[in-house]
Amino acid sequence: MRVSIERSGGFAGITIKTAVEEKDLSPDEAQKLQGMVEEVDFLNLPEKIISPSSQPDRFQYELRLEESGRQHKVTVSEEAMPEKLKPLIKWLMEKARQAKKGKESD
Amino acid sequence: MGPIRYKGIHSIIPPYMLEEIAKRGKPHQQDWALRNLASAGFIRGQRFALGFLPSAASVGGKSRTVYNCKHKDGQPPEGTLVRKEGDPPSKDVAVNEAYDGAGATYDLYYDVYERNSIDDRGMSIVSYVHYDVDYDNAFWDGREMVYGDGDREIFDRFTKCIDVIGHELTHGMTQYEANLDYSDQPGALNESMSDVFGSLVKQRTLKQTAAKADWLIGAGLLMPNIHGKALRSMKAPGTAYEDPVLGKDPQPATMKDYVKTTSDNGGVHINSGIPNHAFYLAAIEIGGNAWTKAGKIWYIGLRDRLRSRSNFAEAASATISVAKALYGNRSKEMKAVRNAWKAVGVM
Repeated sequence: MRVSIERSGGFAGITIKTAVEEKDLSPDEAQKLQGMVEEVDFLNLPEKIISPSSQPDRFQYELRLEESGRQHKVTVSEEAMPEKLKPLIKWLMEKARQAKKGKESD
Repeated sequence: MGPIRYKGIHSIIPPYMLEEIAKRGKPHQQDWALRNLASAGFIRGQRFALGFLPSAASVGGKSRTVYNCKHKDGQPPEGTLVRKEGDPPSKDVAVNEAYDGAGATYDLYYDVYERNSIDDRGMSIVSYVHYDVDYDNAFWDGREMVYGDGDREIFDRFTKCIDVIGHELTHGMTQYEANLDYSDQPGALNESMSDVFGSLVKQRTLKQTAAKADWLIGAGLLMPNIHGKALRSMKAPGTAYEDPVLGKDPQPATMKDYVKTTSDNGGVHINSGIPNHAFYLAAIEIGGNAWTKAGKIWYIGLRDRLRSRSNFAEAASATISVAKALYGNRSKEMKAVRNAWKAVGVM
């Protein structure tokens, strides 16, 4: 399984993205990721989760999941984010932050 | 007293009921009903038709309140009232920055464009500071401004820059006027209007002419170890930062480099570089203080000529037409505006 996140928008308009391969994770982390993906039933989420009245300068997230030939992409705006999707996004953003830190020390 | 919250009701009260409340409710209910009507787009174009409404919903002059979220998130934001109009400064620098920035923005709109607050009816200016934990953002949620403290690794606190505050408040003003759609070209115009008036709030506060201003958006918001002077540059879009962690400022200056993307609601924070640069060029050619003439042309264009689906070309013809009405056919100002839109490739 491969999961990727791209956060765009926000006042700064700076895009942050990262991709996580399940096989590169520790067993504990892999299980955690698997659990979060199943919890939100990711493959059956609507492709667009947006608010009817968008709030200026909010973040926009694009999540992509690839697993055994299946692929699903979900675009979600910050103000419309369902509670149950928050842990997965938070976890992926933390991964993105760590990846950035790695870049900084290169 | 804090703002009245009717959480979740926002979308289900039909407009005719809101109108009734706006006419007959208690002052705070009227205020709430008017805001809901406006955010749902019912007031746009009907400002004069609403003249029969009692004036109780507007509090008159400058009325600011600042709330402390104490690092909680939530929709709408929740917090404790920490400073209201006329109160002495707080010990909390973010509170004072939000208060003073809202004041400077109110003053620009009131003193120069004769506009009474966000809705031109004296609406209270409400700010929430210390939103969430390490939150790298500031936004307008349709009713109030919300500021994060930044993560202190990449971003400092978002109240630090007066142009950020002017930017957020202008989103409110835009919502009550052209109500530009927040995607693609109308969205980039919405963003650009916020940068334009955010920068003008800063320039007027610093008493800088167009020639002297830095035309940067968010100068000082990036932490010192980040390679960048600001988040955007209206003078030279695409040059505000270049950093191993953040990447490079992606803004185009002209239509030749327009970015087609689905990210960021169709690149609203990216392609805003094009109308931003047009404003800069017009202001420089006109000379003097940018808020006096160029700002007035853009303000009236946004207030009276633009609609929710307006694109760059329509913004160009609207501002040229306003410049003609204000300063005369083939006036220096009208020529400057036309030259600016031509230079960025919109015309």
